[in-house]
Amino acid sequence: MPRVRKGSEMKQRDEIVVLTDAVLITCIVQRGVADTVVDAATEAGAQGATIFYARGTGVRQKHLGVLGITVNAEKEVIYIVAPSDHADHIFERVYVAAKLDTPGMGMIYMAALEKMATYVPPEVAARFGQHD
Amino acid sequence: MTEKVLQRRLRYGEFLSAVRVKQRRVSYKEVHADAGRKPRMQRLRLVDLHRLLTPYVSLRFMEQLRAVVPLALFLALFQIAALRADVLQGELIAFGMLAVMLGLMFFMDGVKYGLMPFSENIGFNLPNRATPAVVLGFAFLLGGIATLAEPAIGALRAAGSSVDPIRAPWLHLLLTRYPDRLVMAVGLGVGLAVVVGMLRFFFAWRMKTLVIATLIPCLALTAYAGFDPRLAPIIGLAWDCGAITTGPVTVPLVLALGIGVAAAAGQEDNPLAGFGIVTLASLFPAIAVMLVAIGLVAEVPDPALLLPIVGAGDTLPWWEQTPAGELIAALRAIGPLILLLWLVQRFLLGDAIKQRNLIGYGVVVAVLGMALFNLGLTVGLIPLGNQAGATVPAAFSAGSNGAALYPYPVGIGLTLIFAATLGYGATVAEPALNAMGTTVENLTDGAFPRRLLIQTVAVGVALGIALGVSKIIFQWSMLPLLLCAYTVALGCTLLSSEEYVSLAWDSAGVTTGPVTVPLVLALGLGLGRAVGAAEGFGILAMASVGPIVSVQLVGFWIRRSAALAARQER
Repeated sequence: MPRVRKGSEMKQRDEIVVLTDAVLITCIVQRGVADTVVDAATEAGAQGATIFYARGTGVRQKHLGVLGITVNAEKEVIYIVAPSDHADHIFERVYVAAKLDTPGMGMIYMAALEKMATYVPPEVAARFGQHD
Repeated sequence: MTEKVLQRRLRYGEFLSAVRVKQRRVSYKEVHADAGRKPRMQRLRLVDLHRLLTPYVSLRFMEQLRAVVPLALFLALFQIAALRADVLQGELIAFGMLAVMLGLMFFMDGVKYGLMPFSENIGFNLPNRATPAVVLGFAFLLGGIATLAEPAIGALRAAGSSVDPIRAPWLHLLLTRYPDRLVMAVGLGVGLAVVVGMLRFFFAWRMKTLVIATLIPCLALTAYAGFDPRLAPIIGLAWDCGAITTGPVTVPLVLALGIGVAAAAGQEDNPLAGFGIVTLASLFPAIAVMLVAIGLVAEVPDPALLLPIVGAGDTLPWWEQTPAGELIAALRAIGPLILLLWLVQRFLLGDAIKQRNLIGYGVVVAVLGMALFNLGLTVGLIPLGNQAGATVPAAFSAGSNGAALYPYPVGIGLTLIFAATLGYGATVAEPALNAMGTTVENLTDGAFPRRLLIQTVAVGVALGIALGVSKIIFQWSMLPLLLCAYTVALGCTLLSSEEYVSLAWDSAGVTTGPVTVPLVLALGLGLGRAVGAAEGFGILAMASVGPIVSVQLVGFWIRRSAALAARQER
């Protein structure tokens, strides 16, 4: 069982609560699909998502032939930060929802994050990180 | 042991990772090394094809659906509800409408992939690498040949049969015996317009000067033709031609060249660079057609003496000419354009053609789409417009089957409201106008909002169409109408500022799309036949003046209220 250690000591008032065991899931899909991805991820337990607009090419040019025109080069990139034990589930749900098993639909990858920080409610932070 | 496992408290995440889909780990290094050897087409499952094609096709089809269906429904419902007449051959017309939508969908995609890459490349490179004379020559050819590929031009060829050969003999002659001459004249006019538009970039002429310099000879020629009884019926057609020419092929192709020339002439970042050519392209063809008509009158002193055309009266059922007939027509329309672009790209620029299979796809799809559209035009759009036009007079005049449906003033009012609504609806649905509205909103820093522009243009078109329809119903002469309308437009142009002049004149050209033009043309012709007018042209010409005047009037109003606000602040 991975040890949950969300937070640090609460001795000083100007400390930063740093979260570990976080995973970044990045999903690249065609323009307009991001909402599907975010919905699937939220349902699977993600707490939020960030969407970028981008342009990109890949399979479209090389392998799809004339069908390549159906793939929009305008993309949306979705960042989802998830706790490491939920990440695999979110990864899977997004893969299915975005239909990534079809060529040209996009890709998804995840990577461990060393640490992240955001607003953590003080009472939550107080409950964790006491035992170091 | 089992008990111990059961009693252990599981975290939800752990539970999830236990029941997840099986993952098989494969090294990307190995996959990549394998794929690098020979790139090949993937084997696609059916569901993959569906996922790839369905969103792509439905998006494009919906675009056409939104433009076509409301108009067609409005026409059909008006005919059924207000005129109490059934739509004849409803299934065939519905089939034709489907063909129109599919045809336009394919055609627009074909233009995007088959023609635009060429024309963007040529527009970008040619002005730098060739002498101005070559650029102008190319501009001329491009304008002329692109006009032939315009989908709406097919409607013109189909219009001849409904002209009265006794009362408008030369017009009938021009449309039935020499339609190629007419189309050539229109092409020539657009070609010249594009050349003048390019010269404008070289010499930085003002739009206002150009409009006035073109409009005055144009009006003079109209007046000359209008006082000649042999030529008078042709003016309506001549002015309508201008509205037909500026469609979804010519405008983007010519704009691509225009932007390149403007950049080469050192006018980079001029936001108004795109405007202007569309305007000229609707005035020059009118001049060209009138000149051709003058030549025709001199050449054939008495059309009644000419032998009738052999086979002209034959009415082949449409399937006997289809699909070969439509396909050949489409090839004749698009072939020359592709050839021109390819020759220039290959020999003048010496550039290799990239992405051959995409361009091949575009060309094939454009030809197919054009053929489908032509089919839909003859089976769906034109019969629908014709029927609507033919049944409308029943509202106010006693027809063959008894008394009028409504008292005379009510009937006339209903007809005019119908015409205005048709024009308004068709304009609001026009995607090109929407795009223009956004551009204008940005250019004027929000002083002329997008919605205001669309509404202004739509009201202008609605009034114009109502005016054109009343011209046919009351059989007014075209000359005073045109002279009055364009004199008002000229007056507005003299008083307006440069931006509003470009804007107003271009919005007139933008509004008349490939669905509206055949529909309105057919409506006019059917109406003309039903009320016994010599010819039913002129509605489109009036529909073009409407927005020219209305946009400039709103321009005055915006400037005045801005000035008032400034004074109040002080």
